[in-house]
Amino acid sequence: MRKYLSIFKISFQQEFVYRLNFIMWRIRNVIQILLIFFLWDSVFSEPGKVLFGYDRARIITYVFGLIFIRSVVLSIRSIDVAGEISRGEFANYLIKPVSYFKYWFTRDLSSKALNILFAIFEFSLLFIILQPSFFMQTNLIYVIFFLLSLVIAILIYFLLVLLFSSFPFWYPEQAWGSIFLLFIFTEFLGGGMFPLDILPKNIQNILSFTPFPHLLFSPIQIYLGKLELGGSLKALSLSMIWVIILAFFVNKLWERGLKNYKSEGK
Amino acid sequence: MKKILYYFKIWLIISKNSFLNVIHQRLALAIFLVGKILRFVFFLAFLYFIVNSAGTLAGYSSHQAIFFFLTFNLIDIVSQFLFRDVYRFRPLVASGDFDLILVKPLNALFRVLMGGADFIDLVTIPPVIYALIWLGQSLNPSYFQVLMYIFLILNGLLIATSFHIAVLALGIITLEIDHTIMIYRDLMSLGRFPIDIYKEPLKGILTYLIPVGIMISLPTKALLGLVSPIGLFISFAVGVTVFVISLKLWDFALTKYTSASS
Repeated sequence: MRKYLSIFKISFQQEFVYRLNFIMWRIRNVIQILLIFFLWDSVFSEPGKVLFGYDRARIITYVFGLIFIRSVVLSIRSIDVAGEISRGEFANYLIKPVSYFKYWFTRDLSSKALNILFAIFEFSLLFIILQPSFFMQTNLIYVIFFLLSLVIAILIYFLLVLLFSSFPFWYPEQAWGSIFLLFIFTEFLGGGMFPLDILPKNIQNILSFTPFPHLLFSPIQIYLGKLELGGSLKALSLSMIWVIILAFFVNKLWERGLKNYKSEGK
Repeated sequence: MKKILYYFKIWLIISKNSFLNVIHQRLALAIFLVGKILRFVFFLAFLYFIVNSAGTLAGYSSHQAIFFFLTFNLIDIVSQFLFRDVYRFRPLVASGDFDLILVKPLNALFRVLMGGADFIDLVTIPPVIYALIWLGQSLNPSYFQVLMYIFLILNGLLIATSFHIAVLALGIITLEIDHTIMIYRDLMSLGRFPIDIYKEPLKGILTYLIPVGIMISLPTKALLGLVSPIGLFISFAVGVTVFVISLKLWDFALTKYTSASS
């Protein structure tokens, strides 16, 4: 445990080494939020308008919720895993007394901690500037379910990154391609760009058979109380099942990948 | 004219090499192509569902809103197709290998700006142009409006070129490229929708300070007959001014290049 605590501290400090990089990454997040905010602000410009089951306060809460949830779920360092495998640097870890998965999960947590701090600042700043109408959830059970869904979302995203990062075991020169695909799936199928319930019912049904809605969409839905208690429990159960399924496949895939790994580039 | 032909021939040679390199990696080509097509389709579907359900977006119909989006894509894809090498500039400066470009009998800016056309983007340009023509016809523009649309697209590409030159210049001065180019792309993505959805002062900033509005929204507005002759004149003036400033910035950045690590 102590060694992972050290990894956490070192990784946290490392983020400050590349300060400009970090600030630029946060600026990018704010720009993306502004795009979505103004889009929805324009769509809901008429007072009292309800569309796709959202009123103005709920949709703006969705957008602002994204600032926080993105920082919690999508801020990762393990994006470098595919590159490490591709460059052969992964071999260095095989002889070290650390679990590779735990190492990267710890680094992810340190990245999330820093990003959450900045997200709170951005959230407050944008809130003061834009003065949006905001839906405050007062039911404690929904808030607890929401926090629980965030923890599960973190696990799902970590496992998805490991899954997509295993591609270079077989195709070492293709490190970035699979991660690029994951980003697109997360952004659009995860609800990062728009709430998934604006889509036709049959498309929503198809999406419900994938893990992506559990990353961003489900947590916000739970917070907004749109799923009610039964629906929230169902969403949490489904996301837990996805954790188990993904963990199984990641382990199997990495076992096979390791057998195929040639440490090319080293 | 002779010089233009000379550079065009060079561009053809380096583009051919770049294409051969991409075609050699067929799997990567397939993954990125699929990714880009998916992103385009997802966004188009999203826009269609929203505007269809909401009725209008900032006063524009679903066809008009999609035309804004397609215009954004045209400028975005063409500039990525032409200026892909900008994304690979940082290692040249960090390693000092930029020296090898500076000593060649070739304009260094041309080499780092247009040194590697992107085959994947080339594949996606014709479908976007076809969609623009198909959808544009339903908007019933006059010949003059179509002509202005084309000129403003070229003006938008001039501004996109200026941004890429500025990113290269900042890369020399600060050694930071990756995020700067992505911030440029994020800012540009604000033009996916009509600039009218933004409120002041952001709308003003996006129109004149970071001329995303002039670059992306204005061509479509001209096609819809919503731009006055003065507006057209200001747009071209902004395009030329931004281009001249970016060249000055590049000249200044070159004086700061230290050739470190070489």
